[in-house]
Amino acid sequence: MTTTLYGVAQGLSQLLLGTLARVLPSALAGVDSPGAVEALAVIIVGVIILATSMVNAIVLIWWERKLLGRFMDRRGAMHVGFAGLLQNFADGLKLFRKQPLTPAEADRLGYYLAPAAYLATSLMILGFLPISTGFIPGVAPLSLLMALAIFSFAPFFIFVGAWSANNKYSLIGGMRTAAQLVAYEIPLLFAVVSVVLLTGSFDLNTIVMDQAKDGWFALPLVLGLIVFTVAMLAEVERIPFDLPEAEAELVEGWNTEYGGMLFAMTMLTDYLRGLVASYLIVLLFLGWWPLPAGPLTAPLVSFPLAGILWFQVKVYVVFAVFVWIRASLPRVRTDQLLQIGWKRMIPLSLLNVVWAAALVVWGWPHLRWPSV
Amino acid sequence: MATDVKGIELAGKAKGTPTGPPVKRTPPAPEPSGVVSLVAYPMATAARQFVRSLWRPSTILYPYERLEDPTFRNEVKVASGAPIGVGQIWDNYRGVHALNIRTCISCNLCMFSCPDTCIEMVNTDLGGGKTKKCPEIDYGKCSFCGFCSDACPEGCLTMTASYTITTHTRSEMIYSPERMFAVYKSKLPMNPIRLARPENEDRILLDEDLCIGCNACARDCPTKCITMMDIPKPTAKPGEKLPRRIWKEPTVNDEDCVRCGTCISVCPKECLYWGGGK
Ligand code: SF4
Ligand code: SF4
Ligand code: SF4
Repeated sequence: MTTTLYGVAQGLSQLLLGTLARVLPSALAGVDSPGAVEALAVIIVGVIILATSMVNAIVLIWWERKLLGRFMDRRGAMHVGFAGLLQNFADGLKLFRKQPLTPAEADRLGYYLAPAAYLATSLMILGFLPISTGFIPGVAPLSLLMALAIFSFAPFFIFVGAWSANNKYSLIGGMRTAAQLVAYEIPLLFAVVSVVLLTGSFDLNTIVMDQAKDGWFALPLVLGLIVFTVAMLAEVERIPFDLPEAEAELVEGWNTEYGGMLFAMTMLTDYLRGLVASYLIVLLFLGWWPLPAGPLTAPLVSFPLAGILWFQVKVYVVFAVFVWIRASLPRVRTDQLLQIGWKRMIPLSLLNVVWAAALVVWGWPHLRWPSV
Repeated sequence: MATDVKGIELAGKAKGTPTGPPVKRTPPAPEPSGVVSLVAYPMATAARQFVRSLWRPSTILYPYERLEDPTFRNEVKVASGAPIGVGQIWDNYRGVHALNIRTCISCNLCMFSCPDTCIEMVNTDLGGGKTKKCPEIDYGKCSFCGFCSDACPEGCLTMTASYTITTHTRSEMIYSPERMFAVYKSKLPMNPIRLARPENEDRILLDEDLCIGCNACARDCPTKCITMMDIPKPTAKPGEKLPRRIWKEPTVNDEDCVRCGTCISVCPKECLYWGGGK
C-alpha cells in the first residue's frame, strides 16, 4: 500500500495535535479529536499543494525564459542564482515590495477579488490532479470533470477584474476572454470525451492506470492530443491565442491596471494554468508517472520520488512545446480564433470521438475485427 | 484641360481628357494559408534557430565575457580582416579619452568643439608649482563623438578602446586631466591621431585701424606665435590728434598658429578676425 499525500498529512496532523494534547494543560486536552486531526490534515494538504505548485510555476517561468532565449538566439536570465534560476524569485520579491495602487475609478471589490479568485480557482484544480502514486490529494470518481469545470471558471473572473478596473484596454481584454471561451470549450470537451470513451471513467487515476496497462493514449488518439493541446493553449491564453493580453494592441490586456503584488498574482496564475494544462495533457494522453519498464529504469522505479520526477519531466517537455509554439507563431485575430475553433477543431474532435468509439467497438485495447 | 489652382492637371476630371494607358498593377501575392505554411514552416524555422543557438547563442555574456577575450579572437574581425588581438578592440573605438597633459597647450579647442558642453578647462598641477588649464570631461554628458580629439591640434587628446566607465556616483563620471593622463600612460589601444589640417584655412587677420597694440593676444596665444612688432609712429599734422595707443602691432606666424581663436576672443577692440582662406 502506497502512502498518499493525504495519508502523510493525516499522520503529520495526528503527530502534531497528539503532542500538543500531551503538552498542554488539561483544559485543552481535546485538541486531538478526530475532527480536528482531519481539519488540520486538509490544511496541511492544501499548504503542500500550494507550496509545491507555486514553486513549480515559478520554475516554469524560468524554463520558459531560458527556452525562449534560445529560440531568440540569446540566453535568457543568467545572473541571479545558477543560470538565472533565482531570477523569478527576485522578481517576485521586487513586485512584493511595490506600493499597491488602485485606479481611482475602479470598482474596488471586483478589482481586488478577481485576481484572488483567479489564483484560488486555478490552485483548486491541483487538488484533483494525481501527480504520482504518493502525491494523490484525494480520490474523486469525477476528478476529470471537476478539474475541467474549475478550469473554465477563470474567464469569468478575468472578465470581472477587467470590468472593475474601469479601463478600456482592460475591458476589451476581458471581452475577448469571454469571446474566446466559445471557440475552444467545445473541441476541448470533445477531445476529453474520446479519452473517457476509451477508459469508461471520469477518474483521472483510472485513466492513468489504463494507460500504464495499454500504452499512452497519445498513440491511438493523436488527433485528440492535437485538438486538446490547441484548445488548452486557448484556455490558458498563451500565444498564439493570447488575445485577452495582446500586449501589442491592448497595453497589457485585461491586467493593464494591476500592479505590484496583484500583477504578480495574475502573472503567476497564468503560469499556474500553463502548468495545469501541461499536467492535464500528460495525464490524459502521455501516460502520467509510471516509468517505462525495463532493465535500465529498474533502479529508478524503486527510488521514492521517481514517479514525481518522471511526471515533471514530461510536464516540462509538454510546456517546452508550448514555448516552441509561442516562439514560432503570431497571435491570431478573434475571427481567426473562432474559425480555427469552429471550422477546424470541432470537426477534428468529432472525427476523433468517432475514431475512439470505433476503437471501443473493435475491442480496445485488444483490437480485433468485429465478428459480423 | 482641368487644372487646380496651382496649375496641376486634374486627371480625368474634364470630359475627353486623354487618360493614357491603364496603369499596370501587380496582383497582391496570395495570403499564405494552410497548416504547412502557417504552422509547420514557422515552427521548423524556430526549431532550427533553437538548435543552432543551443551550444552558443550569439550574445556575449558581457561582464563575464568580453569581445576582446581570446575566445572571440577568431570570431570577430576588424574591417581589414585581421582578427582582434587579446585586450584589444577596434583601434578606432571611441572610448575613454587619453590626455597627454605634457603636450597640451591649453588652446580650448577641445572645449569649443564639444557639442555636449561636457569639457571644462581646469587648472592642472604639473608639478614644481606650475599649473596649466587642461580639459576635464564629464562622461555623464559625453556622447563619444570624438570631435574634441579631432580638434586637438597637438594630438594630445585622443580616444582609447576603454569602454568600462560605469560608476556608482555621478561625480565619479567626471574625469580630471590627471585621470585621463593615467589612461594615456596605461597604453590602451588609441585612435589614430589625425593632425592633417585643411588646405588654405582661414587665418588670423588684423584690422590695423582698430588695433591699440595692447599685447593681450600675444600674451594669451597658447602657441606663442604672435609677436608684437614695432610700427612707426606717424608724425601728427598740426591740429590732428593721434590715437592713444602703443605703437606695436601683432604679427601671426601662420605655421605655428593652431587656429584656436583665443586671440580673437581676448582682443578688447575686436580687431582680429578670420579670413584669407578659401
Ligand atoms: S585641444 Fe588639445 S591642446 Fe588644446 S586644450 Fe584641448 S587637449 Fe589641450
Ligand atoms: S567626445 Fe565627448 S568630450 Fe569630446 S567633443 Fe564629443 S562629446 Fe565632447
Ligand atoms: S588663433 Fe590666435 S591665439 Fe590661437 S594660436 Fe592662432 S594666433 Fe595664437
